[in-house]
Amino acid sequence: MPKVTYIEPGGDEVQIDVPVGWSVMQAAMSNGVEGIEAECGGSCACATCHCYVEGELAAAVPAAAEGELAMLGNVVSERKSNSRLSCQIKMTPELEGLVVRFPDAQS
Amino acid sequence: MFSFDPYSPAVDADPFPFYKALRDEHPCFWSKEANMWVLSRYADLVTALNDWQTFSSAKGNLMTELPNRAGATLGTTDPPRHDRLRGLIQHAFMKRNLESLAEPVRAAAAEVAAPLAGEKQFDFIEDFSAKFTVKVLFAVLGLPLGDEAQVREKAVMMVQSDPRTRAKGPEHIAAYNWMQEYAAGVIAERRRNPQNDLISHFSMAEIDGDRLDEREVLLTTTTLIMAGVESLGGFLGMFALNMADHADARRQIVANPALLPDAVEESLRFNTSAQRFRRCLTRDHALHGQTMKQGDFVCLAYGSGNRDERQFPDPDRYDIARKPKGHLGFGGSVHACLGTAIARMSVKVAFEEFHKVVPDYRRVQEQLPWMPSSTFRSPLRLELARV
Repeated sequence: MPKVTYIEPGGDEVQIDVPVGWSVMQAAMSNGVEGIEAECGGSCACATCHCYVEGELAAAVPAAAEGELAMLGNVVSERKSNSRLSCQIKMTPELEGLVVRFPDAQS
Repeated sequence: MFSFDPYSPAVDADPFPFYKALRDEHPCFWSKEANMWVLSRYADLVTALNDWQTFSSAKGNLMTELPNRAGATLGTTDPPRHDRLRGLIQHAFMKRNLESLAEPVRAAAAEVAAPLAGEKQFDFIEDFSAKFTVKVLFAVLGLPLGDEAQVREKAVMMVQSDPRTRAKGPEHIAAYNWMQEYAAGVIAERRRNPQNDLISHFSMAEIDGDRLDEREVLLTTTTLIMAGVESLGGFLGMFALNMADHADARRQIVANPALLPDAVEESLRFNTSAQRFRRCLTRDHALHGQTMKQGDFVCLAYGSGNRDERQFPDPDRYDIARKPKGHLGFGGSVHACLGTAIARMSVKVAFEEFHKVVPDYRRVQEQLPWMPSSTFRSPLRLELARV
């Protein structure tokens, strides 16, 4: 399974094997990672699974669709060029080694 | 020989031993009674929820589907149509847009709880949750007042199924038809006199310049009413049951209501009312040595995933300190429940107010009358007595 490194708001790094097909949000929630709320459960409707995609692999993540771009307008922490909603990033073998950082606040 | 019949009253009453056998011995099980596969392990359910291309909702999502509903509602369409439909509705359900409802919801809870002050024993469903739920839902959807009791009665009826015929009976279809006529009346009225409410906006909305299909407007509105009334009411009943059965947890919560949100999450995991939903395979799919065929229906047993010891240690223990992130109490992924924020807020506020009036209680009935439903699980009556 591809590994994803999650950086929690306190700076701790958590490495998780994420099944192909799961969202980056889903694996964080199922493993109790800190710094994510995912209030809506993954339907791109709440902007509380906001993450920053770090490092070189950022370019390998498929671009955000219209609905995600609109919802990113609702994040409470700073929206940056590498801001994504983690429920909209689906795990693929190409994303092995992905690093995402969660912001200090989600709501 | 093991069987799993989601229409059986034994499953209505206690599905959890069946789920354990499914998870341990039959993780990809063909139920001949339900005529569908049953998935029961947490990881398999999450994978299916994330793979909507294979596990399609377009043939319906209720275990026992209502006629003509598939393809016309949020829960019964796939992306991209689903996403556009949801985009028209979801803003009304976002947490930040619900803040103005906090005080009306509290007032409704206080008003419904007040008459219980003099009661030694009462039915939580009829005397509290039914009344509170319709008040909340009417406020959220902007429904005209006057028919609340009937709307609630029909919503609860239409989600049920007949345990003998394993189908919807005439009384369930009649309730569904009543609800469609009721929704049609509200839609027509809002088009004549638009208000700043969800149904006014939705009934006149367009997608890519096209007006929504009339069937979509009607059945989506019908489903919002059904899901709102039944799901919120059903979950309130399950939460009250947990509070009655777990006196230590209840005492902690009454002493410190700030614990309510954690207790709500644990109840969503432990025995949420939305137990099972359905998908249809768009292609052959192999799992645990079985090959499920294109066109086969698949039951996603959320209630089982939430008790999977592979995900939640000591899963049959109700523990309000557990903080079970990632539970399947609202389903998940594309079709996760639209009402998560309103549900969390309403249940919290309801029990803050209810506990002010009735802080200590126990359940009276040893055997509960469970709703006959292949999809949902909650008691039809829940007698509580003060202790």
